[in-house]
Amino acid sequence: MADSTYPIPGAVEAPSRRWSQAAVLEWLNSWVTTVDHKKLGILYIVYAIFFLLVGGAEAIAIRIQLIQPNMHFLSPQVFNRIFTMHGTTMVFLFGMTYIFGFANYLIPLMIGARDMAFPRLNALSFWLTFFGGILLYYSFIGGGGLYGAGNAPDVMWWAYAPLTERAFSPGHAPDYWALSLIVTGFGTIGASINVISTAFCMRCKGMTLMRLPLLVWVMTVASGLALITITPLTAAQVMLLIDRYLGGHFFDTQAGGSAMIWAHFFWIFGHPEVYVLVLPAFAIANEVIPVFSRKAMFGYPAVVASSVAIAFVSLGVWAHHMFTIGMTSVGNAFFVLSTELVGIPTAIKIFNWLATMWGGKIRFATPMLFCTAFVIQFLLAGLTGIILSIAPWNWQLHNSYFVIAHFHYILVGAIAFCIFGGIYYWYPKVTGRMLSEKLGKWHFWLFVIGFHITFDVMHIPGILGMPRSIYTYEADRGWGTLNMIVSIGGIIQAIAVLIFAWNLISSYFKGKIAGNDPWDAWTLEWSTPSPPPVYNFATDPVVTSRRPLWDLKHPDDPDWHYE
Amino acid sequence: METHETNHSSQHGGAIHLPAPTAWPIVLAFGATLILAGVVTSGYVSILGAVLLISGCVGWFRQVLPHEAHEDVPVEAEEITIASTRTHVTRIEISDEHRAHLPVETYPILSGIKGGIAGGIAMIFPAMLYGLVTQHSIWYPVNLLGGAGVAHWTNPTTAEIASFHLSALIIATIIHILGSVLVGLLYGAMLPMFPRHPIVLGGIVAPLLWTGVMHSSLGVINPALDARISWPWFVVSQVAFGLVAGLVVVRQGKIKTGQSMPFVLRMGVEASGMYSDKEDRH
Ligand code: HEM
Ligand SMILES: [Cu+2]
Repeated sequence: MADSTYPIPGAVEAPSRRWSQAAVLEWLNSWVTTVDHKKLGILYIVYAIFFLLVGGAEAIAIRIQLIQPNMHFLSPQVFNRIFTMHGTTMVFLFGMTYIFGFANYLIPLMIGARDMAFPRLNALSFWLTFFGGILLYYSFIGGGGLYGAGNAPDVMWWAYAPLTERAFSPGHAPDYWALSLIVTGFGTIGASINVISTAFCMRCKGMTLMRLPLLVWVMTVASGLALITITPLTAAQVMLLIDRYLGGHFFDTQAGGSAMIWAHFFWIFGHPEVYVLVLPAFAIANEVIPVFSRKAMFGYPAVVASSVAIAFVSLGVWAHHMFTIGMTSVGNAFFVLSTELVGIPTAIKIFNWLATMWGGKIRFATPMLFCTAFVIQFLLAGLTGIILSIAPWNWQLHNSYFVIAHFHYILVGAIAFCIFGGIYYWYPKVTGRMLSEKLGKWHFWLFVIGFHITFDVMHIPGILGMPRSIYTYEADRGWGTLNMIVSIGGIIQAIAVLIFAWNLISSYFKGKIAGNDPWDAWTLEWSTPSPPPVYNFATDPVVTSRRPLWDLKHPDDPDWHYE
Repeated sequence: METHETNHSSQHGGAIHLPAPTAWPIVLAFGATLILAGVVTSGYVSILGAVLLISGCVGWFRQVLPHEAHEDVPVEAEEITIASTRTHVTRIEISDEHRAHLPVETYPILSGIKGGIAGGIAMIFPAMLYGLVTQHSIWYPVNLLGGAGVAHWTNPTTAEIASFHLSALIIATIIHILGSVLVGLLYGAMLPMFPRHPIVLGGIVAPLLWTGVMHSSLGVINPALDARISWPWFVVSQVAFGLVAGLVVVRQGKIKTGQSMPFVLRMGVEASGMYSDKEDRH
């Protein structure tokens, strides 16, 4: 960690944090009515972390149920609801919101702007996301009530029709799923439009597209992808509601509808969604790795180009989730090959990160630890992805725990790791205080160890034939010990996340004062006080290279000599 | 840093105009959610939602039409020092020893081919000497080598093999040239592994390897040759080949390999800081 030997302006005294009733009301009001991108960004991040904890609690419930054969911790119905809610929460309420949290907070600061392009739309987007999440969780209260898990969706996070039609899903479970995700989907659309417009229209003087910080580039690409893919999902959800309420027959195979339509609509959203989630994780790594390697990011144009390429290719590979529906061999071959194609831009990215680290003076502060683990784990997840994308192997492994292990390698091993890294990195900017490095190291090591215990081992029961989404299993299958290990790993991760939550709270009050630029970084946000004033920059900045702060710190050898 | 105007905020005196906080977005969002929530609860919820949605829209419009509502935020003059604890520019540094265990210089692969041709010529002399000494005919080794192409020879006598046959000469020549060039190529490809001792490689290692390969496979390739070959002479001609080839290679001179260059340069990708001499890039 940088031991600041220079005077830190704006870091004199933290504001006093004492509360009176009027002050609390005013404080609440300021958050509810805010249109400031920084506050909205914080709201998104708090929302995401809150649902990470909720989804994590659900994961632990699942793992307790599966910890040994013939468990009766959850009833089969509640189990279905819990793991559907886990998947839905993690993807839509945690995954989709962290993106806009980081994007909202950072993009205007990084491009030298005062705010997002549409500040009020920004507020609307957040509140739509917020109420969508509340509606989804409200489902726990209706119907069978809390203990029987109410009407909470029990149809998996992909809600395959016609299983979600009235005939097979009476009650309101699929309705809650569709309605609440339509609401959050509109929030996503608004937020994506805002990110894209901001990146293209609000840049300060000198910030050409080829000088845009990589985070801004990649977040913009991810937002574009979200905008393109959330539409078919919303359309499918509306079709489902028409079937369920207005007597439509889109997915009703008895009346000439097709079950395949749903699968296609869902996965044409669902596959690119993986990249909507993982690209912003890359974006975070792109900022953290160079600063802690003390080297400029290697191959900037290649990073930009490969992000765009990944987005494009990911739109054409959705049917690799559908190898088992019995496509023609031409269809199979096309989707195998197009899926493998994603490997090329992805490999480019891995090389870029490795080349950035190679020969650098690496400081393993907590943000860097998380991002380094990310690179390794992302590579491994890519390898199991290649296995799954080979159609004949997929026929063997589809709907087995191998798949669960694979996508958690991405969702946790890549996305969650980068988010943690990003929070450790920018927390000082947002709050003016450092997160505790000591707790951070505990968090990191417990989480890595727990992660590998859980998800490395989880591949094996998958290969041994354990299907996903099963409520329990017989003792004679040989999966017992493995599941026990997996569950223990999950609990270790949960402990790590609790340490993290504690760190977030305690450091807010007692953390070391951060100063403007604790990591000796290069992007514009570090040139503002921590936390930045509402207007971000008292005077609008002008930049001359990709690392504006580098140029200010080293006028003798500025970057634009090399670009 | 200089001043210039961004899109929707502007600075006047000591204050900056920013969009005013507003509660209408949250009202609008809540209304929209309630409209949908009515589907799973009750129609009245939807109606309430619609009311909220409409008032949210109206309130929002009044905020931005005809003029956007602004608030003035006073600027606190704060002096921002940008400094660094790093004293010098950190870029990729490549030391000379880096990867020094790989050859920094080697012989070009082409020199292996040249050596192969020279060795092939050199081999002719011991072979002919062998023919002269054992069978009093320089055609004897030629016919042995070309024997595979002479189809009507089922069980040739020694005298037949020792006499001149044009077809055997042509075939033997082709085999010999091809063989020499290919062995030369192989040799050239192996050179970087023994860059310091090309003559040891060419004169001893390669002939021994080659003889072993021939010894075990000749029965299939060329049975006539296999039945009559004299292995000591064979080794002698191989060594002649190797020594000459090695000498020719050494005289070609070495070239630098890409090993001392960074990966990026070898890939042809540019990156800042990769050049030791910054001046010639400006
Ligand atoms: C502490 C970490 C986590 C644990 C222990 C965990 C565990 C599980 C388990 C046991 C399942 C059910 C598999 C099945 O039986 O079908 C599951 C499903 C799933 N998880 Fe997680 N999870 C974790 C974190 C996450 C995160 C961070 C995300 C997303 C960002 C995520 C996304 C999903 C998805 C999409 C599913 C699929 C649900 C389905 O099968 O319908 N999980 N997880
Ligand atoms: Cu996919």
